[in-house]
Amino acid sequence: MTHTRIKPVVVGLFALLAVALPWMTGNVYYLHVATLIGVYWVLIATLNLLVGFTGQLSVGHVGLLAIGAYAFCLLAGGQGWNPFLALLAGGAICAVIGLLLGLPSLRLPGFYFAMATLAFGLIVSELALAEQWLTNGSVGMPAPSFPAPFDTPGGFYWLVLGIAGLVTWMTANLARLMWGRAMVALRDSTVAASSVAVPIYRTKLIVFVFSGFTAGIAGGLYATSQTYITPDAFIVNLGIYFFVAIIIGGRGVIIGPFIGAAVLAAIPELVGPLAKYGTFFYGLILLIVVLVLPGGFGELIATLAAKLRREPQSATSIEPDLPSLRNAVRGQKA
Amino acid sequence: MLLVIVSGLALGGLYGMTALVYNVMYSTSKVLSFGTGQFAMVGGICTAWLVLDLHWPLWAGLIACLVSGAAFGWLSEVIAVRRIVAASDEHLWVLSTLALSTMVQEAMSLVWGTDPTPFPRVLPQEFAGIFDQKFWLPMILAVLMAVGLEQFYRRSMVGKLFIAMSEDSFAARARGVATDRMRSLSYVLAGVLGALSGFAGGQLTFADFALGTALGLSGFIALAVGGIGSSVGALVGGAILGMLTSLTAHYFGAEYQKTIAIGLLILLLVVRPQGLFGTTQVRQV
Repeated sequence: MTHTRIKPVVVGLFALLAVALPWMTGNVYYLHVATLIGVYWVLIATLNLLVGFTGQLSVGHVGLLAIGAYAFCLLAGGQGWNPFLALLAGGAICAVIGLLLGLPSLRLPGFYFAMATLAFGLIVSELALAEQWLTNGSVGMPAPSFPAPFDTPGGFYWLVLGIAGLVTWMTANLARLMWGRAMVALRDSTVAASSVAVPIYRTKLIVFVFSGFTAGIAGGLYATSQTYITPDAFIVNLGIYFFVAIIIGGRGVIIGPFIGAAVLAAIPELVGPLAKYGTFFYGLILLIVVLVLPGGFGELIATLAAKLRREPQSATSIEPDLPSLRNAVRGQKA
Repeated sequence: MLLVIVSGLALGGLYGMTALVYNVMYSTSKVLSFGTGQFAMVGGICTAWLVLDLHWPLWAGLIACLVSGAAFGWLSEVIAVRRIVAASDEHLWVLSTLALSTMVQEAMSLVWGTDPTPFPRVLPQEFAGIFDQKFWLPMILAVLMAVGLEQFYRRSMVGKLFIAMSEDSFAARARGVATDRMRSLSYVLAGVLGALSGFAGGQLTFADFALGTALGLSGFIALAVGGIGSSVGALVGGAILGMLTSLTAHYFGAEYQKTIAIGLLILLLVVRPQGLFGTTQVRQV
């Protein structure tokens, strides 16, 4: 069992690298991209619980992100709340809206649910444009920044990093323990899961509400990282990006979607000319992964790692126990 | 007021046609394609570009529109559906059709721009209020399409094979039906019908790259309200949704259209999950 010793070392090294990033790079723009990846990750980590573990294809999480962002800007900017309190309030609002959206739509089968969430994303961006008294319409509104230690690019990066780490820890705990088993079970076979007393609907609903909460938190952080929000920032394509990140990372793996999110966010930002074709490539990558590599890159890495460790594949290790079988057959005959 | 009702019914015809296209693909493959609305978008943009920019005659534009729909339908079966259906993972087709639909939409917007462009007049008619062709064309074509599909399903050999596959694909295969070829054929047919709906509704919606997603969603709502697999249901569901959309826009403003539409969908699915004209499927194991 070498990998149990390797794993904490890898995680520790990665954490050290992540914390030290502001000192390592002097480039503020790279830091901004890293912050953005962290913000997306806060949303994607729990969306992965919903999409990857539970198998509920939510395309419209960008709507929850938008609500979180607007709630944060209105409460912290307009009402003068403490930003941290406003961030939590935005998360709570999104959790409630997630509950209201999930109550009817999680009863629906796969494609119906995907369509309902897609419609939710479209509705939110429509209303953000239309309800000018609340959102300023297409003009948008400025986003407040966080108080003293977190108001510099580096400070804000550490704040996002802290929240992302916390969310990752919570997600990993959920996925590892009883809840994760229940989610995977109901994804793979609803009938079989309910026959062993997994509460199907309640499990889905709780995961959806939890992912709504962190989507709201991510919304507030997203608003601050952009400093100014307009309805254009929350187009449905962004929701598809979250979705693609999870699928190419690998469904049902914690770290896979992180790699997916980082790669997908970094490529258009760092390679300028690609930005125009971004959504096209998301579609292309999604198609290729679905057709060629349905488990995503996470599964590929896991398979390669197992090969590297020369661990026997569990699928090939089923050998009939011939002597006892022979005895059994003979015993029956005799 | 009359104009509101007429335009609602015209929109309803367009939604109903999209729902019929969903049905054609669903019958042979049990796949609800995310790209269903994109057929109309591709057909509409192709026609508008050929006729208005390159000055082709209209009949040539119509033929090109139908050919582009057929090609796109066939390609979507080959690329996004065939291997997925063979692998029989029920979640993956949502992803593959979503991916293809996103790619097509982005490609169209990159080549032809994101601004809606006008669509050519189909018939030489002065604008005639509620009797204008942009209203009655989608309505009449929707009814024709539904009647034609019903006749096709009931009288022609190929249509009967579609029905056989929709009831039990394995049994149909065991009886010697070339199920793969039939599936391709149904997607080509769906592409042609979808492009035709884009042609009929072009004057109503304009040639717009974002039409596909909106139409895919509205057509799906019409389908779910009417009940999957029913042609009458598709027409009725489309008409209900179109009227509701039009009345909402008239009384409350256009920004609440989608909210009302999705409200209708969720309300109906909670009360009657199989839709108005659908049949129940209770067996899960």
